[in-house]
Amino acid sequence: MNYIVTALDAEARVFIEHYRLKRDTTLPYTVYKGKDTLLLVTGMGKTNAMMALSALLGYRLPGRNDNLINIGICGAPSEYELGEALLIHQLIDKHRRYYPDILYTHTLRETSLICVNSPVESPLSFPVDMESTGVFQAASKFFKLHRMAFVKIVSDHCQPDSVTKEGVVSLMKSHLGTLDSLLSSLQSVAQEHPLFSEEEFKEINLWKSYFTVAQGVQLEDAVCYFRLKDSARPFPFPKMEIPVSKRERSVLLESFIATLTA
Amino acid sequence: MNPLLPPSPPKLFSHLYVEQKVANHPHTLKIMEKFERSQIILIHHYKEVFNRPNQNFSAQSDSKKLILAHKEGKFLHEGSQYSDGFDIEQFFYASSVMGCLYDCDYCYLQGLYPSANTVLFVNLEDAFAEVLPYLGDKTLVATSYDTDSLAIESLTGQTRLWLEFAATHPNLHLEIRTKSANIKPFKSVTPNGKVTLAWTLSPQRIIDQYEHATPSLEKRLKAAKEACELGWKVRICIDPVIYTDEFELLYTELIDTLFKTIPPEQLHQLTLGSFRLSQSHLRSLKKLRRSDIAFYPYDVRDDMATYPETLESHILEVLLKNATRYLSQTRIRTWQRQS
Repeated sequence: MNYIVTALDAEARVFIEHYRLKRDTTLPYTVYKGKDTLLLVTGMGKTNAMMALSALLGYRLPGRNDNLINIGICGAPSEYELGEALLIHQLIDKHRRYYPDILYTHTLRETSLICVNSPVESPLSFPVDMESTGVFQAASKFFKLHRMAFVKIVSDHCQPDSVTKEGVVSLMKSHLGTLDSLLSSLQSVAQEHPLFSEEEFKEINLWKSYFTVAQGVQLEDAVCYFRLKDSARPFPFPKMEIPVSKRERSVLLESFIATLTA
Repeated sequence: MNPLLPPSPPKLFSHLYVEQKVANHPHTLKIMEKFERSQIILIHHYKEVFNRPNQNFSAQSDSKKLILAHKEGKFLHEGSQYSDGFDIEQFFYASSVMGCLYDCDYCYLQGLYPSANTVLFVNLEDAFAEVLPYLGDKTLVATSYDTDSLAIESLTGQTRLWLEFAATHPNLHLEIRTKSANIKPFKSVTPNGKVTLAWTLSPQRIIDQYEHATPSLEKRLKAAKEACELGWKVRICIDPVIYTDEFELLYTELIDTLFKTIPPEQLHQLTLGSFRLSQSHLRSLKKLRRSDIAFYPYDVRDDMATYPETLESHILEVLLKNATRYLSQTRIRTWQRQS
């Protein structure tokens, strides 16, 4: 699942159409849903961003291979071209700094971003937005740092009054491809696969329930060893009745662990 | 940050995080010159990048970043019980790098740090100042403990600086342990009898399986042989020995290959030792779920995980039997749990 987070409706519109998303009214926030995509419109400002995203992620917990992209407009000093998409490698909020992990290839210019409380009319040393650190703080509780990306499109050279709704829609439209290719890049970073299938996991837990907690830990270590040593082999779970006596159960466990770690 | 730079290419150290405090340090400037196409990001303190919660060690291992920082605390730490101090009473290791370019499944660093990135402390002059008060007596400093310093020598030049420092201090002994094939610093400095270069060797199958991103056995052997021929004191460490299928065949062959390549008389010492790790590091290694090595049913006593005593003895016996065909026992050091 990909989570797209924007601050404004105008930033979200083109993605809603492109990914054919439908409004989901479960939460008191603006959420759109599709087959592989969830889109959240947080409203302006860090606090709104943090509250809305926390609510969404608490309601729908992300999987270990899910990605989150915060995409939206930003003001920037004049050396950044209007309409240019920037990938953010450092988010600055007064004295706090936040760092998404960029472990993939991409074609965007990277930069730092300053997250401010209100629109700025004179340029700072880096581009500015108003939500990114709120998004980061909420998202980093749920996502690994390499599963998050922050993309900002330069809408103005710190002249916020020049930004129009139509202009924002048009800017976002021109970067649909940017979002698609960034999502592919994020997905290309090593996917995590669980060591065990669901059935194996159930079987392991059932076996653990026959033993003490400490013995269960030993068994879990042994099945991890067995799987990591050779991922293709099926588990040789003994086909037998579980003995009633503690002593016999311990003997059974010992021989099972010896088989797994041989 | 230079906004005019093109997008970062997919390579080692595509991003350099630089503490503001060391941004103008001569070593920082030299390193930044070598990485002019990388993203340079100014930071306050290395921990804000290195110690972030929710990093993924495995994913980062494929795209390591470099952090340049100023060491505030001690550079020198007392040598660990898991290592050989060669009977020198003042035995320290110097920690000027955190993290390693190599990615060995059994390495305690994986359990030690929250990040696979590399932190390089550029103020090495402070490490030398810290060693000085001890140099009235014989002192051993291991410079390659929390990293393989030779692996990043072309970037840091720190091994060469240690060699130059040792050349002017007769009581200073250095141990430089490595899996690298880079022996450049040893070609341009006069061999020093108080410096031991120690190459860790493993059978190629073990290298392929567990020592990711490291040079092949052939390259390591070639480097060790060349260092011997240059006149450096070389120790070979078959340590840690990983017990695996065909262990006897693999390690016996390794010893044969070693002595076919390097004549025994050229070698200073051979160290043999089976895998061991502190229990806390082993726990952290298990959490990563990357390698079967973490999950072997070790014998855990006194916070140390080792192979069960009978197996540990068997491993040493097999290795010693073959090694003593080439080298007298007095030149072989072994590590075994003292029970």
